[in-house]
Amino acid sequence: MTRTFDVVVVGSGPGGYVSAIRCAQLGLGVAVVEDDRPGGVCLNWGCIPTKALLRNAEVLNLVQHASDFGITVGEVRADYAQAVQRSRAVADRMAKGVEFLFRKNKVTLVPGTGTLKNARTVEVKGGAGTETLEAGRAVILATGSKPRSLPGVSIDEKLVISSNGAVRNESRPASIVVIGAGAVGVEFADVYAAYGAQVTLLEALPRVLPIEDEDAGALITRLFGRRGITIKTGVKVSAVKPGGPGAIVETDGGRFEAQQVLMAVGRAARTDGIGLEAAGVQMERGFVKISPTMETTAKGVYAIGDMAGAPLLAHKAMAEGVVAAEAIAGQHPRPIDYGNVPSCTYCRPQVASIGASEAKTKENGREVTVGKFPFTASGKAVAMGETDGFVKVVADKATGEILGVHIVGPEATEIIHEFAVGRTLEATLEEIMHTIHAHPTLSEAALEATLAALGQAIHI
Amino acid sequence: MAVSKVLMPKLSEAMESGKIIKWLKKEGDRVQSGDILAEVETDKADVEMEAFGSGVLRKILQGAGSTVPVGSLIGVIAEPDEDIAAVASQAGAPAAPAASAAPATPAPAAAAAMSSRPAAVPPQPRREDPAARTPSPASAPTAPTRTAPAAAAPATALRPAAAASPAPGDGGRLKASPLARKIAAQSGVDLHVVHGSGPGGRIVRRDVEAASAAPAVRPVAAPVAPGVEFEDRPLSQIRAIIAKRMPLSKAPVPHFYVSSEVAMDRGWSLREELNALEGQPKISVNDLVLRACALALLQHPGVNASFQGESIRVFYRAHIGIAVALEDGLITPVLRDVQAKSLGQIAAEARDLAERARQRKLRAPEMSGATFSISNLGMFDVTEFSAIINPPEGAILAVGAVRKVPVVTADGLGVGRRMMLTLSCDHRVMDGAMGARFLQDVKRLLEEPLRLMV
Repeated sequence: MTRTFDVVVVGSGPGGYVSAIRCAQLGLGVAVVEDDRPGGVCLNWGCIPTKALLRNAEVLNLVQHASDFGITVGEVRADYAQAVQRSRAVADRMAKGVEFLFRKNKVTLVPGTGTLKNARTVEVKGGAGTETLEAGRAVILATGSKPRSLPGVSIDEKLVISSNGAVRNESRPASIVVIGAGAVGVEFADVYAAYGAQVTLLEALPRVLPIEDEDAGALITRLFGRRGITIKTGVKVSAVKPGGPGAIVETDGGRFEAQQVLMAVGRAARTDGIGLEAAGVQMERGFVKISPTMETTAKGVYAIGDMAGAPLLAHKAMAEGVVAAEAIAGQHPRPIDYGNVPSCTYCRPQVASIGASEAKTKENGREVTVGKFPFTASGKAVAMGETDGFVKVVADKATGEILGVHIVGPEATEIIHEFAVGRTLEATLEEIMHTIHAHPTLSEAALEATLAALGQAIHI
Repeated sequence: MAVSKVLMPKLSEAMESGKIIKWLKKEGDRVQSGDILAEVETDKADVEMEAFGSGVLRKILQGAGSTVPVGSLIGVIAEPDEDIAAVASQAGAPAAPAASAAPATPAPAAAAAMSSRPAAVPPQPRREDPAARTPSPASAPTAPTRTAPAAAAPATALRPAAAASPAPGDGGRLKASPLARKIAAQSGVDLHVVHGSGPGGRIVRRDVEAASAAPAVRPVAAPVAPGVEFEDRPLSQIRAIIAKRMPLSKAPVPHFYVSSEVAMDRGWSLREELNALEGQPKISVNDLVLRACALALLQHPGVNASFQGESIRVFYRAHIGIAVALEDGLITPVLRDVQAKSLGQIAAEARDLAERARQRKLRAPEMSGATFSISNLGMFDVTEFSAIINPPEGAILAVGAVRKVPVVTADGLGVGRRMMLTLSCDHRVMDGAMGARFLQDVKRLLEEPLRLMV
């Protein structure tokens, strides 16, 4: 059977479903091919379910520290299986939300695995047989990414698990070695540690959260250390073998044993078997090569999201989905500013950043001014009892251009957007300074860090 | 304590009148001798006016915006209980327009009276005229007498300053990001000629960066309302004084000109070598010329001289005026005792003078007393030109650009750096040969630039 649409989207993760809806809004007929549930890794196995688990960890921590607030609770029992079940329920609900949005926007969902036959034809193999979708205008590839492993270590989702397995396993290991201290590794380390597992966090680079500002990594290392998480940075894993309590991880910095190993060393583009060669789509350094409007080397074939390169973040994929849809509809979308994508890690305390680290700005030869404000000096943070962290603003000395902002602390991932908007509008330190911030709020720390960069902080 | 009059001071030699930009003290304020009373715009710069007596500023007789002749009474300082009626009544006698020449408000209560009698007191700086808030075409600014397109008026009523300038975006408001504004201010880019590529034509950082990287191209013609063929722009103070003074030089002063080409190859490499040193002020070609002229003037005091009618005054120190181009004219701050200054000192001080000249922040003594001047149009790629002498000086040197030109060498043709110098001389003070010998020495000093270092 053959059906024809204006646009055929392959994959319904945050890139795919957003581009499909945007295409539909622009009056195009759209089909979305999906071999799993709608929503992709983000809604089903990544962002959303992990946020649910992290919320459990946070609530558990709060209850355990209820006495700090003069509240006496009885015996606290935390059932990890129920945490995972709650997380699954959240994911289910969000996936259903995507199905609802598809219906609302008259996007046709085609279950099955899509493969490009040429730049205009996608063959879908599903439970109901094979179907051919013809794309009148364009094909948008949005097949996402999959967890990577280390050479010689295979992810069996039993002894060595990936985030996909971790988010599903209802039994928490007694001990776990997490390989890779990026956002995924740090978040799972947080959850497991909160639920009482012995956690060892290994990182090959010199510090945890290596893409974040040095100050952020240093503080998380200290706070995690205080919670009993073992952190080893600058260690390279040479092998993972069965043995001891479950697995033995051999590194150039010693042997680590645990019941399970979580592989969180990064993700790779998911491009196998989707027919890139047949359509003439070229790759570049492991990702699909794209133009500023997301078009691949094959005319009329677009690629968005994780498969199209770093940063591998859902919000970047969504933004790319909009750009691709608008370009296909004949509009002139504003190109994405890849230097202005917020980066968020939802451990406790949260870490969020935008722009360049202080070290990077100096490497680039910028003369900078740095303002830092600790949450210990924030009235709201003290009232909340969440005083770990800071807001750090790095700005150009001459113009006050906001080059980078790095936040560790309560709701850091929300506070960061003030600076995202500011940077989009090309606000400088002065505009932030002249913006009245409500009191008492955590966002006041953003104002104070800005003032500090101008040498005018009031509350420190 | 006596009643002291506040008079419009003579802040530069050529100053005949001054405009009060704003009063920094208000009636009823206690002032000490030396306090800054007001900011005054003279023909050359904005200058701070000091108080010469202590007491209470009892009366402001000329409000902000008034232009009055030098020596006019503009205010009265006295003790609160002193009778100032006699002094205050002198106001207006020498002074000119003064719409704000003050009904006799009982003095010490003046501060309180300000709000109830806006007409009687100087307009408060920065407070917008209530009339300007009314979005009616009638309130559109009239400053340059261009007929403002009526459609632009409502949008611009709150920002009179921007209304006169054509701007991208809607209704004349200049749409630019804060960062773009800052970079433009720092790199001297005029936002009015920058094309905005942001949403709705907003000027963003990349537009300013592109504009400052590109050679300064002004739009051929600014958009003008249909039917408007010309506009009469009022003379700025500085343009008025130039218009008045230059004929007084060119006509009565018999000018003659001598020119010479200078090989700048060695001067250029010396400069590059000096500028490669860390922690040194950057030396410009003009700094080399300044130093060379100072040294040559010492050797040729006849050029460093002024015609005095019955005599010629010869100076033994080289106070050199440096012509600095401004938006609406030019100004010649004076670098004193150049003969006694090292290249580094000259570079640092000349730059400071030029920067402050552009910001109109020169102090009065820095604008007078030159014995010789230099005008350099090299940055505009001018090969050569002749300048008009700034009396009572006896000569001025016009400096062209350093150009790469083909030169004849022992082996054939080569590439050399050359610069044209043209000396304008007052024939009443000197003759051709004297000017020529001076120029020859300047040329030698620049061609053997190590001489500038000793």
